[in-house]
This record gives sequence, structure tokens and C-alpha cells, in this order.
Amino acid sequence: MAGLRPGEIVVEGAWRSFSVRADPGRSLKELVFGRMRGGPPPVQALRDVSFHVEPGETVAIVGRNGAGKTSALRVLAGIVPLDRGRCEVGGRVVAQLELGAGFGRGFTGRENVYLNAALHGLSRADVDERLDDILAFAGLGEFADLPVATYSQGMFLRLGFAIAAHLDPDVLLVDEVLAVGDEAFQRRCEARIAEQIAGGATLVLVSHDAALVERTCSRVIVLDHGRLVFDGPVAEGLAYYRSEALVGA
Amino acid sequence: MFLFEQLVRRELRQKYQGSVLGVAWYLVNPLVLMAAYWFLFGVVLETFTYEDYPLFLLCGLVVWIFFSQSLLAAASSLLDQGALIRKARFAREVIPASVVSVQALTFGVVLALLAVVTIAVRGTLDVALLLLPVVLACLAAFVLGLALAVAVLHAFFRDVAPILGAALLPWFFLSPIFFGVDQVTSNATYRFVLEWLNPVAPYIVAVRDILYGGDAPSVAVLVYVVAAAAVALVVGRWVFRRMESELAVVV
Repeated sequence: MAGLRPGEIVVEGAWRSFSVRADPGRSLKELVFGRMRGGPPPVQALRDVSFHVEPGETVAIVGRNGAGKTSALRVLAGIVPLDRGRCEVGGRVVAQLELGAGFGRGFTGRENVYLNAALHGLSRADVDERLDDILAFAGLGEFADLPVATYSQGMFLRLGFAIAAHLDPDVLLVDEVLAVGDEAFQRRCEARIAEQIAGGATLVLVSHDAALVERTCSRVIVLDHGRLVFDGPVAEGLAYYRSEALVGA
Repeated sequence: MFLFEQLVRRELRQKYQGSVLGVAWYLVNPLVLMAAYWFLFGVVLETFTYEDYPLFLLCGLVVWIFFSQSLLAAASSLLDQGALIRKARFAREVIPASVVSVQALTFGVVLALLAVVTIAVRGTLDVALLLLPVVLACLAAFVLGLALAVAVLHAFFRDVAPILGAALLPWFFLSPIFFGVDQVTSNATYRFVLEWLNPVAPYIVAVRDILYGGDAPSVAVLVYVVAAAAVALVVGRWVFRRMESELAVVV
């Protein structure tokens, strides 16, 4: 990570493929009797993708289903390595790929805050400091001390977002998750993200919601079958995407 | 470290929540096994005539149970925590390590009780007891190393846990748990196989020598115990490091 400023993203010549098989694990049988016989060929999720994001930029990644958007986010989050190329991100990265992932269902909301924040590398003191804000943001009321198994889906997601929204990231990666909860909560999510951007955070957003992209982002990257086909200002990017989408349809 | 602590708490909670006896189950398991083997080998067959045979059995059983339960729990641990691995970046070693730690905690409680009873009944309080923490630390490192390897291998090759499950039972019977190697054979080859080819055997022998016998284990056993721990830990970590990068794709 040396040389990168917090919030800066550098992706150069990134390639990544995934094998698409019903059974994700390999069996020893394949290892012994020659591996990977049959099955469909691997899907190329990223093909020679390069881009550079300055700290504080707001970037939307758009593209049709299967264009490589989520793969790009998982690579940026450091969860999945590249086959080839370089991907570096400066500072603390928080990925909101799936809200409430890893919640212990028998744990109370409060306990899950600690667990989830620990997962993102916060210390106990960090969490102590933020706990009240997180619980207030999630609006759980007395449910904060009940196991999350008793929560409604909305509460579950609100708590997930509330934790992710209070981790003070330098880079915020958001995948479609804003489409959760009621409208009031969605507005608060957007407001919270806007606050973090105002505070200097870099945003990378994956969304199909053109209005949301226009409101929150200044730059658009369009992916198509793993290739970067457009990188530029938001209005042109969306226009390009729409025309391409129409051609494809 | 904070994450590790949180995961250990979660494991502990999940294990004991909704169970009436809680941690006492970990006493029941070795006691039941002990009773069965004592009845068969000590009473019915009169094969072994060790003094306080139940205590002799328990010293081996608790070590074996820690070893086998840790590996079985570690094997599925990464798949069980797939949701975490797919969604966040963190040091994945903490998952198998927390599973082993939970087993180690219960093992520690059970062993402490066993130690008090054994020493009281047999009068085996000796300076050799000072070696016990060393042996236990090595045992924990040995188990952790194997657990790391088993966990990551099972994530990629789903046959590992069934193979492990199939291997553990014969392995158990070949381990010097209900017998001492001296007593069952004087054939040098058999002795070598039973004592040294099985990496768990020296740990069982060392713990039993100290608690049940009130003696320090032989130098050879102590060297083996330290060396096996170092090898297991180094190899286990190496395998884990090599394979972990693709974990998010396979779990």
C-alpha cells in the first residue's frame, strides 16, 4: 500500500476469472484423476480493467447483470485476489456487500455490533466510542438487547447498515444495499453516505438506480462483460450506458 | 486480537446456549468412555492391571478428545463462517484458531479437575508437574497447526473431513490410551510404530507420566513433543497462507 494516499484507488490491468460450477469445492477425486474435467469454462469477470480514483471522488460502477461490477467491488475490498494485474487501495476500506453478514443469530444487537466492528478491524475502544451512535442510528429501541434472531428483516438490515456507516472508512464500497428498509431509512442512509463523502471519503457505488447514481456520484465507470467500456462524467456515462443497454436489449 | 476474542465468545455461546449441563457435558464424554473401557479391559477381560485404571484411562482420553474434537471442529469451521469470509477482509486464521481455543478452554477445565483428583488419589505431586504447562503448550500448538491445515484443505477439498472422521477411530485404538506401550509388546518394531509413528502418542505419554506416574517424561518424549509442535505449526501455517487467498471463492 506504500505511496497511496488514504482514499486513493489504483487498478491496473486487472484480470479475474471464476469457475462456474455447482460445486464450489474441488474434490480429491479430481486431483487424483485429472482435474476440472467437464463443466462450463470459467467466466471472465474482469478483463484488463484499469482505473484510478483520487481521494474523495465518488464513482459509480454500472453495467448489466454479470458485467463484473460485484467482482470489481470484491477485488477492491481485498476479499478476492486478482489473477493478473494490480489493485491497491489506500486507507481503511469498508465494503457494504451484504448487510448483517456474519451476525450471530443468538447474539443481541449490541453484541453483534462488537463482533461486526471487530471483523472490520476496529478495537474495543473504537466500538465503545461508537456504540451509542450506531444503536441510535439503527433505531432498535429495546430490541438492542434482544437476540437478532427476533428482529424483523428491516431491523436486521438497519443494524447492518448502521455498523457499516460508523466505521469511518477512507474508501466506502457499496453494492446495491441502499435498496433496503423504508423510504425514510433510505434517505438517512443516503444522508449518512453524503456526510462521509463530505468528510473526505471515497465512494465506489454499484447500482442500477440511475437517479441514485446521479445524486451521489460525479463519475461513472461502465463495465461490459468484464471490460471497462466507459469512464467519465456521470451524465455522459449514464447516457452511454442507456444507449448500450438499449442496443443489448 | 479483539476479533479473535469476539469469535471465541461467539463459539462458546453457541456451544453452551440451550444446553442444561453446559460445560459439564465435557466431563460426561470422557467419563462415559472411561467407564466403558474400564469395564471391558479392567474388569471383564482383566487385560490391564494398572492401579487406579480409571485415572490411567482418563489421562489419555482427555488428551485424545481435545485432539480429535479440535480437528473435527476446525475442518468445517471455514465453511461454517463462509458468510464472513465472503464479505469482509480479515485474517482468516482467527476462525480455526478460535475453534481450537474453545476446545482448549474446555480441555483446560477438564484437565485441571482430573489433575487435582489424580494427584490426590495417587499422591503423585512431584516437581515433574512443572513440565505439564510446557507439554500442554506444545500440545496446543501441535493441534493448532494441524487444525489450520485441515480447515483450509477441507474448504478446497470437501473430502478432507470425511477422511479425517474415518481415520480418527482406528487412530484412537492404536493410540496408547487404554494401554501403555511397555505392557502390550516387547517387539521393537511394534513399539516404534506405537510410540513414535503416531504423533499423538508422545503427548498422551507425557501427560500421563506427569499426572498419573508422578514422573518427568523421558527426554526423548519431551524433545518429540516440542519438535512435533514446531513442525505442525510451521507446516500448518504455511499451508494455510498458501491457500487462503482463494478462500472467498470456494466457501
